[in-house]
Amino acid sequence: MIRHLFTLMWNRRRANALLVVEIFLAFVVLFAVGTIGTNLWANYRQPLGFDYAQVWQLNFTTGAQPRTEQFGTQRQLMAELRANPQVAGAALTAGNTPFSFNDSQTRLDFVEPHDSTRRPSGPINTYYIGPELRAVMNLELVAGRWFGPADAVQGAHVPVVIDERLQRAMYPDGRSALNGLLAGNNEPSRRVIGVVRAYRTDGELQEPLPSMFEAILPNDTTFLAQSVLLRVKPGSGAALEKQLTDDVRRIGPGWTGTIRTLTDMHTVQMKMRLTKPLLLGSMSVFLLLNVALGLFGVLWLNISRRRGELGVRRAMGATAGGISRQVLGEILVLTTFGLALGLLVAVQFPLLGVQNVRPDIYFTAMLLAAGALYLLATVCALYPSRLAAGIQPAVALREE
Amino acid sequence: MTNLFTSATDSFQSQPATAPATGAGRAVLQLTGIEKVYQTRTIETVALNHVNLTINQGEFVSVMGPSGCGKSTLLSIMGLLDEPTSGTLELDGRPVQSYSDKELARLRNHKIGFVFQSYHLINDLSVLDNVELPLLYRSGVGGRQRRQRAYAALEKVGLGARTGHFPSQLSGGQRQRVAIARALAGEPEIILADEPTGNLDSVMGEEIMDLLLTLNREQGTTIVMVTHDEQQALKTQRLIRFFDGSQVS
Ligand SMILES: Nc1ncnc2c1ncn2[C@@H]1O[C@H](COP(=O)(O)OP(=O)(O)O)[C@@H](O)[C@H]1O
Ligand SMILES: [Mg+2]
Repeated sequence: MIRHLFTLMWNRRRANALLVVEIFLAFVVLFAVGTIGTNLWANYRQPLGFDYAQVWQLNFTTGAQPRTEQFGTQRQLMAELRANPQVAGAALTAGNTPFSFNDSQTRLDFVEPHDSTRRPSGPINTYYIGPELRAVMNLELVAGRWFGPADAVQGAHVPVVIDERLQRAMYPDGRSALNGLLAGNNEPSRRVIGVVRAYRTDGELQEPLPSMFEAILPNDTTFLAQSVLLRVKPGSGAALEKQLTDDVRRIGPGWTGTIRTLTDMHTVQMKMRLTKPLLLGSMSVFLLLNVALGLFGVLWLNISRRRGELGVRRAMGATAGGISRQVLGEILVLTTFGLALGLLVAVQFPLLGVQNVRPDIYFTAMLLAAGALYLLATVCALYPSRLAAGIQPAVALREE
Repeated sequence: MTNLFTSATDSFQSQPATAPATGAGRAVLQLTGIEKVYQTRTIETVALNHVNLTINQGEFVSVMGPSGCGKSTLLSIMGLLDEPTSGTLELDGRPVQSYSDKELARLRNHKIGFVFQSYHLINDLSVLDNVELPLLYRSGVGGRQRRQRAYAALEKVGLGARTGHFPSQLSGGQRQRVAIARALAGEPEIILADEPTGNLDSVMGEEIMDLLLTLNREQGTTIVMVTHDEQQALKTQRLIRFFDGSQVS
């Protein structure tokens, strides 16, 4: 029977070409949306690496204060912030804070320990941070150690803490990256002292990049960090916010401070990152609706046109259920034709490796898109197939 | 509707249950008191009015009568395509009233072959695929066997060389021969033909008629054929005339 249906629908391919094309297009769109969606979902499921519920970000501007004085003022500000009973911890950081849309990327060479050969890394998210960051953000250390007082002394190599993703990039075979070296071109090389789970400041939806932390040295006078991440005690609100910005103005001549909660920043970022996919998603829903209407209409029309044929099939011994299954089967076969064309296109993506998406995400998206279209076709065929089952065999003798 | 005509010459009508002298014997189809009333919103049509009729195995019976007198309705009831409003139909001596849709489909598939005035071939299937159709609805017949039996049936109607053609590439007479091959493929005991030559010119009609006669003679297939052609009817063993839903001879 399945072969019969394929023969029948293949012979009717001209009449059904439009529908097949529509299914093909729907598949391509669904595949695209599915890829984006699956990718977002795969990103979302990976650990974020930090905890932001009680964390605020304070940014300050230094006004017209001479640069040489700024570092002293900054130290004083940090001391006062930490002294505040409502503040559980405070860490200086460069501007690439969580959910801020800022990033700072470096490319280095992985140095193979036994033969010193170099292998270029891809982009690495690089964080200049005060050592208090680990406590403020609740970073999870999985190997080695975090920055300590010993690191304040400039050595031959710059000590860095990396995340697990960078460790895997350095040693895909699963070796530990501790004491591994990352070499730059015109800068001192870095030595890995510890590994944390992750620190995905780009947020849950973004494809994670490998990350690396470098500590801001206490006596550094080249780079002035102008952001502070603060862990505040539960229940802190507008009053503390005002107090802290007042502190900035009081301590720094001409300084101003602004505070945002990471929770707010997170919400803003989620909205931004979801706008495009949701727009695309709703557009594809409209497209699907269109395809559904088309399928339904064609099926309905076909049933009334084919009363004679279906009656003859019943006269030849088809049961009512058999007729209904045939109508459903036909539309599933048509869907299969459309999907086959669509898959030919879709398979090119993982094969050619265009876009930077993992093959398994493409395959999941193909499955999802195909499943959705089969479901859609089945739903569209339910009523027409029942209609067809109701055709009395006696019409075979009447329909001309 | 009242029946103004009474039986003119023949005695079949008054003795429906007894086998006539013609034919090979046992009754394959027996209609007793069959009535068919079509009820539409505006009118009620009595298509068959108390019909008693026996078709015996191996008989070739032709049915004649003016348009609208109930010939197709009669065939659809004999072919289990429609249920009578009242009366009983026995197939091989067993009443069919109580059968389920599935059982009826099975009986149609195994016992009965249909030939229609307008052929009713499926235009999007090749000649061979069309002829395979009844076997497709029969369980236990594999693809290869279907193919073989369809070929054999097409050979019988002289179209063994046209299996790959599509109906639109054939003449009317050829199409009807395909339809007959399709009816034959399932090897039914009974062939019901509703004006099989109605759309054909006389030469082609003659061809079809010869084919049916040969089938009846050589294979003993029971045939009930509706026709408007007096000449054709005379070639069959028995002629039944209908008028306004009743058998008049
Ligand atoms: N499905 C139907 N609904 C209502 N009336 C019908 C239906 N089928 C047939 N009839 C009526 O029943 C009568 C007999 O029809 P039919 O058996 O087709 O006649 P014939 O084949 O002898 O021309 C006609 O009056 C026809 O209009
Ligand atoms: Mg008729």
